[in-house]
Amino acid sequence: MNNNIKQAIRGVKSNPSRTFLTTLGIMIGIGTVILVLSAGEGFKSYINSQIDAFGSNIITLETSLPDSTKARSNSGSGSKQANSSASNAIPITSLKMRDVEDIKNIPNVKNAYGASIGQQIVTYKNVSKNVFIFGASADRFDIDKGIIEEGRGYSSQEDKALAQVVVLGNTLATSLFDGVDPVGKLIRIGNYNFEVIGVYAKKGGFGPMNDDDQAFIPVTTLQKKIQGIDYLIYSVIGLIDNTKADATALDVADIVRKNHYITDPIRDDFKVTTQSESLGTFDTILSAVTFLLIAIASISLLVGGVGVMNIMYVIVTERIGEIGLKKALGARNRDIMYEFLVESILLTIIGGVIGVMGGAFGAFVISKIAQSLGLAWKFIVPIWGVIIAVSVSGIIGIIFGVFPAQNAAKLNPIEALNKE
Amino acid sequence: MLIELKNIVKNYENGDVITHVLKDINLTVEEGEFIAIIGPSGSGKSTLMHTIGFLDRPTSGEYIFEGENTKDLDDDQLAVIRNKHIGFVFQSFNLLPRTSVLDNVILPLLYSDSKIGHEKKAKEALAAVNLTERMNYMSNQISGGQKQRVAIARALVCNPKVIFADEPTGNLDSKSGSTVMHILENLNKEGRTIILVTHDLNVANHSKRIVTIRDGEIVSDRKVEEKDRVHSKQIED
Repeated sequence: MNNNIKQAIRGVKSNPSRTFLTTLGIMIGIGTVILVLSAGEGFKSYINSQIDAFGSNIITLETSLPDSTKARSNSGSGSKQANSSASNAIPITSLKMRDVEDIKNIPNVKNAYGASIGQQIVTYKNVSKNVFIFGASADRFDIDKGIIEEGRGYSSQEDKALAQVVVLGNTLATSLFDGVDPVGKLIRIGNYNFEVIGVYAKKGGFGPMNDDDQAFIPVTTLQKKIQGIDYLIYSVIGLIDNTKADATALDVADIVRKNHYITDPIRDDFKVTTQSESLGTFDTILSAVTFLLIAIASISLLVGGVGVMNIMYVIVTERIGEIGLKKALGARNRDIMYEFLVESILLTIIGGVIGVMGGAFGAFVISKIAQSLGLAWKFIVPIWGVIIAVSVSGIIGIIFGVFPAQNAAKLNPIEALNKE
Repeated sequence: MLIELKNIVKNYENGDVITHVLKDINLTVEEGEFIAIIGPSGSGKSTLMHTIGFLDRPTSGEYIFEGENTKDLDDDQLAVIRNKHIGFVFQSFNLLPRTSVLDNVILPLLYSDSKIGHEKKAKEALAAVNLTERMNYMSNQISGGQKQRVAIARALVCNPKVIFADEPTGNLDSKSGSTVMHILENLNKEGRTIILVTHDLNVANHSKRIVTIRDGEIVSDRKVEEKDRVHSKQIED
């Protein structure tokens, strides 16, 4: 076997540029697989960090168009997906702070807060920004994992008193104040002056609903002073024991149904989502995308394998004289077969290893780009992925090497010698 | 009796055309003989050598090697016989490219039962052809005469009973050819059986017995008188 590897290395070295071109398909295929797996793990790490930041043992309750009215509203608007009132023209006005207070009495519920969202122009001196305003009851600070870097959060007394106090997201604070200490300063939100009482540490988020770009004020202040409403858009419920999340979600639904006088669940004007449900959805999407990309990469592996097979046939033809000589010197058919199989496996494994390095490098670049955008994205190359990728490339070497190797082994020594 | 051929026939079929290459060959070779098989090209001498060397099977007839009928041996068993008992020296040397002289000589040992002492045996074989100093050269860095001596070392390394030399001097100048023949003579003196295939009577006269083949038949089989034998001296290092 040692000798076979030596001979295979000699063969591979004899024509480095051909070796490179032959294994290019394998490299691209394996590289893509590693890139997809690695970037997928990186994306998961980012999502997990977002979940950690949001609070880990939670379920969410949000208003939602009843199933019974969806058909009608769909045929009217032509929209198929719009069942959340937050993104719907018809507001659901039934979710109230009373519901949240009742939910807090469920044994497995540690705490809960109600929330509403608005959008306002925020001004400090001559700097103005259009900002999402999150109104939440003070219990938010008990559930949300965000760290207040400077200052403090507001209290439930301030919430009840419609206090004009605000906690700023980190990026928002920086862009409004630019070096000046924001705490204690007054900013204008809509038509009111608010005192900045705290600034969050940077969470690292992405997109328009990024926590770092938002302002957080007491929910009652937002409802009464700015929006002129008395209902909530959603509520976040912190749990004591996350393993009982499903049962607690049912309890939440029962309470809200009772409060909203709903007897038939089809008329529910709300939706309860546990974390495992939202994670499950995320996992399903990620798996589907991963599967799709790996399926595409497999085509490259297949084409790469055929390329290797083709070259192995060429190599067998090139070395016909050598095969004849080896047979004359006493090599058995299986000796010749192993020599060529080892060479094709070596070819594909070289491709696989270079592919793994290339894919890992690509994933590293992606993680650096993501990190430079402020995302908590880790660079992870799953070891199991590397092991599978290298094994798969070896198996491709066997599958596509076996026919050329058998061809070589079956050669008649005389005919082979005479070709020289 | 080392080799005994009885009524060996070899036919090649090409579509409907059958070529009779060997017609009823009977030949015996004792251990320690030095035989030259001569004949013009197309006479069947190469086919005869391939058959005696277990590279090819006869169409009919019996081949008894060391008292054992070889008719029912399969490909792998023939490969083992070639490895253990037979050493080949070819006209065009057939060394592995991009491989050192030493590794070329080791090659047959890789297919043998012995798993140890390869390098030692190969060095001994190289010493026998006076090429110890060239053992780390690549096979393309040495002269034609040296290549053929490496091929002889390779043929010797498994300590075979018979060495087949197919036109061993055919690609060499007279000096190198002379050295090669000198080595073969010495090997025969040490008791090794040599079977030489050539079309050149001067080369054949190094041997002790000349078998002439024409159109697939042995037309003469005669001893070479000691006074007629040609002896080469070692000229090259």
